[in-house]
Amino acid sequence: MIGALARGPIQDAMTEGLGRHRGRTAVVGSEPLSYEELGERIEAAAGALRDLLPGEARHVGFCLGNRPEYVVLYFATLFAGHLPLLLDANFNTGEIEPIRSDCGLDALVVERAKAAGLDVPGKGNPVAFGDDVAILPLARQSEPSFGARPSTQVCRFTSGTTGRPKCLEFSGHAVVSAARNWILGTGMTGEDRTLCLAALSNGLAFNTSLLSTFLAGGEIHFLKGVPLTRPVARRIVEAGITRLVAFPTLYRNFVAPGGPDPTLLSGLKHAISAGAPLWPDVREEFRSRYGLDVSDYYGIAETGPCTFERDASHHTGLGEPLPGVEIRLAPASEDEPGTGEVLVRTESMASGYLNHPGQFEARVDAEGFYHSGDRGRLADGRLHLVGRTQDHINVAGRKIDPTEIVAVVSALDGVADAVAFPDEDLNREALVHLVVVAAAGEGTKGVTKETVAEACRSRLAPWKVPGRISFVEEIPRTGIGKPRIAVLREQLNTKGSMA
Amino acid sequence: MNEENQTAMKKRVQRLVYIAAGGKINEEELGRHDTDLRTLGLDSLGYLNLLEGLERTFSVAIDLDHEEDHTFLHTIDNIVRYLSVQRGAAA
Repeated sequence: MIGALARGPIQDAMTEGLGRHRGRTAVVGSEPLSYEELGERIEAAAGALRDLLPGEARHVGFCLGNRPEYVVLYFATLFAGHLPLLLDANFNTGEIEPIRSDCGLDALVVERAKAAGLDVPGKGNPVAFGDDVAILPLARQSEPSFGARPSTQVCRFTSGTTGRPKCLEFSGHAVVSAARNWILGTGMTGEDRTLCLAALSNGLAFNTSLLSTFLAGGEIHFLKGVPLTRPVARRIVEAGITRLVAFPTLYRNFVAPGGPDPTLLSGLKHAISAGAPLWPDVREEFRSRYGLDVSDYYGIAETGPCTFERDASHHTGLGEPLPGVEIRLAPASEDEPGTGEVLVRTESMASGYLNHPGQFEARVDAEGFYHSGDRGRLADGRLHLVGRTQDHINVAGRKIDPTEIVAVVSALDGVADAVAFPDEDLNREALVHLVVVAAAGEGTKGVTKETVAEACRSRLAPWKVPGRISFVEEIPRTGIGKPRIAVLREQLNTKGSMA
Repeated sequence: MNEENQTAMKKRVQRLVYIAAGGKINEEELGRHDTDLRTLGLDSLGYLNLLEGLERTFSVAIDLDHEEDHTFLHTIDNIVRYLSVQRGAAA
C-alpha cells in the first residue's frame, strides 16, 4: 500500500486525495490515468526508486518536460523517502554540474535521448521509465557543499543571477499550504480540468496545477510538443478544459490575426498567465475575442502564489492576495506617493537557499515579510506593479544579473567598456540589450557583434545571451561611474532613427 | 514548384523569421538561407512564433510529434523544402 511508504505532509495530502477521488480521471497525456492507476504507478515507481537508490533522502533531480511520467516519478520520489529537486528541463551539463557540486544529485530524471548525451562524471546506466524517460543514477564524486534542512521536501530553482542557479528549499507544509490556498482562493473544484503548458519546475505550474489538482479531485492535462494555438485550442475543446495555465506569448498568439475561432474556447473558465507581465492590450483583446479575462497571476519563486483576480468584472491589476498571503508596501520615496517595495508573507514561503546560505534570510524582515524587489501600489485591495527596485533583468520570468554579462564581455580583448540593461524586441518580448565600446588603438583585435555574441553563447546560459548588441563610442556615466541608461537609450534611439 | 516560386517562398519565410525573432536577427543575416537559425539567435520563443506564422501564412499544420527529424526547421532552405512537400501533399 502506498500509505506504507515514507510519510510527510505532501505524501499524507496526496494519499488522502488519491483515496478520496478513486475512479476519477487524474492525469491525461496521450492516455487518461485514473486516481487509482496513478496511485498504483506511484507505488510501483517508489519501490523501484528505493531499489535503485538505497538509503534515505537521496537527491533526485528532475530535468524533464511536462508529461504524466513526471507526475508519477515526482510523487514516487517523495514516497520513496527521497528529495526531488526540480530543475529547468533546458538545463544542460553547464547548469547541472554546479547544482550537483552544491546540492548533491544521486540521480537525474531526463528524456532518454538526453541521458545518452549528458556529459557528467559518474554517470550510471540509465533505467528506462515509460516510453521516453530515463532515470540516470549518478555516483557522488564528492560530498555536496551544502546540506538540506531536515524539513525540506522539495527543492526548486530560481534562474540564479550569479551563474549558479539558486536552490530553494520548501517544507512539505509550505507545498501543501500553497496547494490548499490556491484551491480556496481560486475556487478550484473536482470538475476542473487544467491544461498545464508552463513547466512543472516553474512556480506557476507547480503551485497551480500539481498537488492542488489532486487535492481538489480534478484533472491535469499535458500537451506533447510545441504549444501552438491550434493544438492547444483542439485540446481545450476535445477534453473540456476549464483552466489554461500558460505564459504571455501564447495569449498573444491567440489574439493575433488568424487565431483560433472564439467558440473553441467557450468552455474555458480560467485563463492564467505568468512568467512575465501580460501586455494590457493582449489581455483586452483576449477578453474581447474570447469573452474571458486572463488572470495575470503574481507569484514569487521564494514565496509561492501571492495574488489572484476572481472578479471577472475587474480588469486592472494583479488581483487580491490569496488566502494565507499578506502584502505590505515598504515606505516609498516622496517622488512616488502610494508606491513602495512589495513585501510578502505567506504560508508557502521557502525555508532558504540550499546553496546560498543567508541570502534568503537577509531579505526577510523581523516580521517574516519577504522583500520582493518589486515596486507596486495597492488600490481597491488589489496589487498593481510599477517596476523593480533592483537592477535584475526579467526575461520570460528568469532574473538575470546584468553584471554577469558585462563581466564576460569586458574580459574580451578589444572591449573598453560595456553595459547591459532591459529592453524589448519588436514583439515586445523582454530581452537583454548589451552595449559595447570597442577599444581604440593598436593591439585591438577587432571586436565585433559576432565575437561578442559567440563569447556570450559559449560562457552564459542560453537565456542570458543578449538579444540585442549595440556599439557606441562612449557609455554616458554619472560622476560616480554609474551608467546613465536613460541617456544611453535616447542616444541609441536617435542613432536608430537616423540609420 | 518552379525556381521563381521557391525564391518568393524563401523571401516570405525570411520575413516570418525576422518577425518571429522580434527583429533581433537582422535581415542581411537571414539572407543566407542555408545558415542554421539557432546560430543566428532564434530562441525557443522565436521558434514558437515562427511555427505559428508558418501555419497561418501557408495554411499547413505542423505537428512536431509526428516528425522524427526536426532539422527541417533549422534553415530557411529546409523550411521551404518542408512546406513545399506539405502543401504538395495537401493539394
